[in-house]
Amino acid sequence: MTKHEIDCEQALRKIFQFIDHELGGSEREAMQRHLHTCKSCFSRAEFERRLKGKVGGLRERQGAPEVRRRISRLLKTF
Amino acid sequence: MGISREGFEKQVLALVGSMHGVARRLTRNDTDAEDLVAETVARAWKALDSLESDAAFRAWIFRILHNTFISERRRADARPQCESMESEDLDATNPAFSIFEQMHQPFLLWFSNPEQEFLDRLLREDLERALATLPEHQRVVVILADLEEFNYREIADTLGVPVGTVRSRLARARGALQKLLWEQAQAHGLRGDGATAGNGNAQARTASTPPAKTGKEA
Repeated sequence: MTKHEIDCEQALRKIFQFIDHELGGSEREAMQRHLHTCKSCFSRAEFERRLKGKVGGLRERQGAPEVRRRISRLLKTF
Repeated sequence: MGISREGFEKQVLALVGSMHGVARRLTRNDTDAEDLVAETVARAWKALDSLESDAAFRAWIFRILHNTFISERRRADARPQCESMESEDLDATNPAFSIFEQMHQPFLLWFSNPEQEFLDRLLREDLERALATLPEHQRVVVILADLEEFNYREIADTLGVPVGTVRSRLARARGALQKLLWEQAQAHGLRGDGATAGNGNAQARTASTPPAKTGKEA
């Protein structure tokens, strides 16, 4: 293992940062190289990514119409 | 002031859906959520001088929303805030709960994938219930990161904590969320081996009994 490679323990410590796109250049590349060679960590990353997507699917983007109307009225008083 | 009245109105209307969604999940009450959004917008207008730039608008107004929620709750609840802020440090001796580690079978045939089947069977109401059950300081980071897609810096600015705290709190929160999902699934017959539910150390294996279903109703 060279200094630019990471092991499973290091990969798992950074797995959430990876799926959240919070790893910068060399760290992200090291993680991607590890995931190319480690089926277990790759599966873990996929699992966490899919679960994050499912949680994200709970979002309601529009909000209730009555709230929009109330806030629109409020804004006109400023 | 770095933004005009029209700019303020435009930004608020673009974010009102998100603000209401976050407010609903913080207050867990539709009426309180609507009041929280209105109070936030009113406070934000008065505090416009504290907005540093247009680009910072989202984190700025969500910070006002979160602060308003905290102060309103304190006013409504005379009791001291005693929600546990357990250690947020995660390390090898204190790992977060992981459904993947509970279910993953490295030696299964390629077509069998219990943890992915678990996700396939997760229902929206399972996730809603688990998220609503998280303690507030964990719930809010999951909402901001996964529903609102804030980056760690924005979450840190919104909550007024260091980025490192966001990182560790999010890891802890996701572990807690997975533990709740795991316990819900167990309560509805995910596993038939009678092992202790969701203790974080159980060698829960489902090789012979892949997930039949996850919880539908508590």
